Amino acid sequence: MDHDFDLKSLGMTEEQLFSFHEHSDLESEKITAPRYSYWQSVFRVFFRKKLNIFILAVLALLIAFAYIYPALTEFDRYGGLLNPDIKHLSPSAALKYFNGDPRYILGTGASGQSTFDAMWNGARISISLAFICGAINMTIGVLVGAVWGFSKRVDAFMMEVYNILGNIPYVLLISVLLMLFTPSFWTMVFALTVTGWLAIAYTIRIQVVIIRDREYNLASKCLGTSTVKIAMKNILPFMTSVIVTLLATEIPSYISYEVFLAYIGRGIPEMTLGRLIFEAEGAMVTPGWQFEFWSPVAIAVVITVVLYVVGLNLGDASDPRTHM
Amino acid sequence: MGKYLLKRILHGVVSIMVVVIIVMVLIYSLLNREQVFSADSAYGRQGGNTRETYCYNKWEQYGYLDYVPYTDWLFELASSGEIDEETRAEAAGFGRKPEDDPPVAAEYVARFTEYYESQGYEVIRLNAIMSGRKVANGGAQQLFATKDLPLAGRVWNYFTGLVDIDNIHKAEEVEGERGLTFTLFDPLYGGDKFAPAIIGNGTEHRYLLYVDGQFPFIHQNFATLRLGMSYTVSNGVDVAETMSRSQGTYVLRTTTFPTGHAEESADDLHTATYMLGSREANAINVDRFTDDYTVVGTVRGGFSKLGYSFVIGLMAVIIAYCLGLPLGVLCALKKDRLIDKLGTIYTVLIIAMPSLAYIFLFKGIGGQVFGLPTTFDIESGTKLIFVLPVISLALPSIANLMKWMRRYMVDQMSSDYVKFARSGGLTEGEIFSKHIMKNAAIPIVHGIPASVLGAMTGAIITERVYVVPGTGNLLTEAINKFDNGVIVGVVLFYAVLSVTSVIVGDVLMATVDPRISFTTKDR
Repeated sequence: MDHDFDLKSLGMTEEQLFSFHEHSDLESEKITAPRYSYWQSVFRVFFRKKLNIFILAVLALLIAFAYIYPALTEFDRYGGLLNPDIKHLSPSAALKYFNGDPRYILGTGASGQSTFDAMWNGARISISLAFICGAINMTIGVLVGAVWGFSKRVDAFMMEVYNILGNIPYVLLISVLLMLFTPSFWTMVFALTVTGWLAIAYTIRIQVVIIRDREYNLASKCLGTSTVKIAMKNILPFMTSVIVTLLATEIPSYISYEVFLAYIGRGIPEMTLGRLIFEAEGAMVTPGWQFEFWSPVAIAVVITVVLYVVGLNLGDASDPRTHM
Repeated sequence: MGKYLLKRILHGVVSIMVVVIIVMVLIYSLLNREQVFSADSAYGRQGGNTRETYCYNKWEQYGYLDYVPYTDWLFELASSGEIDEETRAEAAGFGRKPEDDPPVAAEYVARFTEYYESQGYEVIRLNAIMSGRKVANGGAQQLFATKDLPLAGRVWNYFTGLVDIDNIHKAEEVEGERGLTFTLFDPLYGGDKFAPAIIGNGTEHRYLLYVDGQFPFIHQNFATLRLGMSYTVSNGVDVAETMSRSQGTYVLRTTTFPTGHAEESADDLHTATYMLGSREANAINVDRFTDDYTVVGTVRGGFSKLGYSFVIGLMAVIIAYCLGLPLGVLCALKKDRLIDKLGTIYTVLIIAMPSLAYIFLFKGIGGQVFGLPTTFDIESGTKLIFVLPVISLALPSIANLMKWMRRYMVDQMSSDYVKFARSGGLTEGEIFSKHIMKNAAIPIVHGIPASVLGAMTGAIITERVYVVPGTGNLLTEAINKFDNGVIVGVVLFYAVLSVTSVIVGDVLMATVDPRISFTTKDR
């Protein structure tokens, strides 16, 4: 050795210089990588884009306004019914009539109600409908889809169910259900969820089938991991981005669907955005009345697009491959 | 492959049948049948017992139940010769209350009750409603038997009656000998022009096979499709007929009737069907026809409901594939560049927006800025009326195709075989056209049959907004009018289209990609 020197020259005992370190198999398995938290990374990636922060803010503002504004103001749809002067007013005429009251910034509708108020009341109901239906359908869809993908016996049965239920026109099913019960908010929720989970379950099933037989799961199985643990630890994290992306397309789709149903005359009596659009259809072609039609359309578009974009970007961010 | 295909088709047929059964349960058993009268003005004018019989009468027409009034049963007995006219009249006079029945009536009422109750019918007797000493308005006594049609019988009757085969014993009491004659020179064209036809006597249709100048040029009447009889949408006409008959104005031309009488008429003599005693009943028929094949259809211009939906749908599909696929490829090639970002914005907007919104938007832009016609008018000769509906239908398909094509291309571009091909020295163009494109196109091919066949089902909102007389609104109209026959027929039609398109799509995909095999044996 080149740097040979006497340890005794340090003036220390052997015990002071060396201590016996026990070897641990467990410790040696630990990986000294930087700490990784899944959800932290998701939000880090999500907020890295300035656009996402902006859109999320818009979404939060929209939802907050849609819930707070109708709760603070009183909206009587037929309040102005007996006053012929205030029906179908253009924004400027309405502002003039009501001395610049900002509630009439979008003019008035067929029974003298403020279009602005009607729009936000409708948005509140439509957003509630979309979130409730989304929550129910996603929960049932993901659970059923996971079982569907895992079990071959369930698969054979569910495929037949899917082939049959998928061929019953949605319009017919919803119409019959809405006729069967008294049309109301909860009837609509029921009608939209009674078969709505099926498409989600099918998408999840395909994803589970793809991932189920991947090599890493096969290896995990060989090592004796239980099926539940494989499902929870190996597959579910992989599915998060799929589920979030599905949610992004599902929630706006309920608003669109409700608009569509209301338009074909299968709506609910609550003044949802769909019903507002349906009732104001005639106003669209009447000069000066267009605001009654376009304001609910515009708010529906803004809500659906914002929800969709936030969901898609969150879906991208929740894909662990983007966390590098 | 053949065996597999057969299995798939059988599965499809079973699913279609189950769909029809479920729909029948939905509309006949679950739906509240009182709702039929919600928009019926005649219902409100009825009172007392007549309202009750009116309901049963209507329900029978809507196909819910079988309804036999006592008097009808007596008429039937009389016409079969079991009782004479005198007894019938006497038996028909049953009392206001069961205790008031004259002896003859009581006997026949008992027979009626016994006969129908033994067949599972419910016999209902409504006593007269009196106002003072007189019978109240609509309060006359009523006696009838009624039975809900059982689901099994309904399903059986529906599927066995789906295709109606014409035969020479169909018509009652025809003159002359029953039989089929084949001719190369159709007598309707004067008898000297070459036009093959099969003419029947004793059959329901006069012409079982004929040629004429209308699409599809060769027509047959051997088998008639009976999807479901309409009651409210178009009274007494089958759904198949409602969907497939032309809707334009009558086309008048000089028609020579079998008697030699010639006049300007839109009658289509090839469609003549038999109706016993129609010449006795209507003097006009005597001038024109030599036998009782007098019920004729008419020649009309324009397309049928199916025709309009299919023409518009097909044009939209063609445009969507011609634009959507190249645009998707372009977006994938210029990934993360401006064009890709614009494409993403477009797809996001179209997918997230309620379809109603952009259809109205395009109606507004097209109508006011470009001056295109926004309401469909069958009679106007201009083809421009197709422009806006086609664009409205194509927009979402373009977005969808773009989205998927881009996705598939991008996925393929980062796959190992592409890297290998690149390292092997292939040019980018070669890799693109020979490898990536071919692989990315496979899932796209699967969707083509569904888009083409789906065009036939029409589009609800587009057709409503532009007032297109297509098939899209048939289902919603039938639901609104409780036309159960039409609902079942349309559902069957939709189900057949969707099952067929999935099977054809799978076959097409297996043809394009030799790696895909549906039979485990082939692997």
